[in-house]
Amino acid sequence: MLAAAAAAPQAGSSQTPPPDADLDAAREQMKASARQIAKVKLPMATEPAFHFKA
Amino acid sequence: MAKFTFTDDIFFGSISELSAALRKKDFSTVELTHAFCDRLEKLGPRYNALALSLRDSALRKAKDVDRDFKLDRVRSPLQGIPYGAKDLLAVTGKPTTWGAKPYAGQVFKEDAQVIDLLHKAGAILIGKLSMVELAGGGGYRYPSASLTGPGLNPWDRTRWSGGSSSGPGSATAAGLVAFSIGSETSGSILTPSAYCGITGLRPTYGLVSRRGAMALSWTLDKIGPMCRSAEDCALVLGAIAGNDYQDPGSARKSFHYAPQFARKPDEITIGYAAIDFEETAETSTRAGFQDALKLVKSLGMNMKEVEIPDFPYGALTGAIIGAEAASIFEDLIRSGRVDELADHRQAQGLKAGLDIPATEYLRAMRVRALVQQAFRDLFLDVDFLLAPTRSTVASKITDRLDGGAAPATPPKSRGLSGLIPAGNLAGLPAISLPCGFASGLPIAISVVGRPFYENQLIAIGKAFQSHTDWHRKRPPVTG
Repeated sequence: MLAAAAAAPQAGSSQTPPPDADLDAAREQMKASARQIAKVKLPMATEPAFHFKA
Repeated sequence: MAKFTFTDDIFFGSISELSAALRKKDFSTVELTHAFCDRLEKLGPRYNALALSLRDSALRKAKDVDRDFKLDRVRSPLQGIPYGAKDLLAVTGKPTTWGAKPYAGQVFKEDAQVIDLLHKAGAILIGKLSMVELAGGGGYRYPSASLTGPGLNPWDRTRWSGGSSSGPGSATAAGLVAFSIGSETSGSILTPSAYCGITGLRPTYGLVSRRGAMALSWTLDKIGPMCRSAEDCALVLGAIAGNDYQDPGSARKSFHYAPQFARKPDEITIGYAAIDFEETAETSTRAGFQDALKLVKSLGMNMKEVEIPDFPYGALTGAIIGAEAASIFEDLIRSGRVDELADHRQAQGLKAGLDIPATEYLRAMRVRALVQQAFRDLFLDVDFLLAPTRSTVASKITDRLDGGAAPATPPKSRGLSGLIPAGNLAGLPAISLPCGFASGLPIAISVVGRPFYENQLIAIGKAFQSHTDWHRKRPPVTG
């Protein structure tokens, strides 16, 4: 038995910004994250936290 | 056998209690499975918790298990126990929707490793449980970001169950399953556990195979138990943990519950920050959190005030999940089908992930190595970390989840704020323990440990739960 979605309509949909605004906001958030990360002092020898194994 | 009347004591029973009743033949596995299936099918939709009932296959399995019980063949403490699985875990021949419209008809030919292990342990899978679409990877705005609608909290259905393991959270809390399997990339086991008043365990990264589970972030995803007690989490983890050569992230370690080897309380030091239980916590929760802290202090462990290492944890998880999720779902995004997702903000977040340059992702992963080292250094001073799991109660289902204003005055100290993303970045295990109520809604504390210290984490959880009964409280489920 597949449960029927007892879904409320997406709340606040009448206030959803125009489509591009959310994409712009998401991109801006990514850039803001990158700026924050760039401030961390990173020794040159630090490798990423994953390693390839043959 | 006389017909057994299944009461709430059964539906809210622990795994050990149910197992004992099955062995004493109070009822058969088939009867127990019928009872839980009836309850899950009837009440699951009330909380938007049920994605798919698996009654037919569950009853076939239950018959096999009853034959084993008749022959006194007991494979594990989970034998005959009905459970639910988050709908990102593949079950052969059944829809596995990932909570998302573009994948609603998706069917896999093989069980996820965790499902296979639980099957071998004799547990009875009775249903797939709902989740936030694609485990919320793009960043979602509303709880309605799901094929099955917003997860509703059994304590108050105007409130969110939490996510992304929303169905496991509410189904376990409402006694619709004896336990469930959830997943966490950054908060998705701990949050619904806290909001729904159940005990959730996020294992060390790599301890439980991810094979057959939807990937959101290869380096952050973990599968774990969501139960009604720390001891139940131990029993489930014992069944699902272990090496899997087909999971590149497998730690090649197993877990065996060994309470006899737990350290004495006076040999353990707990790091905590008073500010987390005071200023940082939402006002209505402070009294409950402070009582919980007092109780932990009374258990005989050494307590030490600490501060979380200073890193931009939110930005790091954002960058890593953003890049990895965009790669995983690249076909979905480039085809345009990403716009079929229920949550507009989530769709745009996934698209934006494609713009993350490789150098930014790599920088985040390099800083992540520093985070891991900083926590190794912190664990030289303390053995475990303690903090509120979430500093608020569950939000209303109409409230926005994204954004949120920064505090007018920044707090004096970081405390352990950011412990959820930090613990996930460092691959650390954590257990969330119900510790009270605020405004009628559950609150919880988390204990976080070094990698592979699940045995001691569970021991601390058991000690806490032997002095409280918050984990035994039952929401007002009727019918």
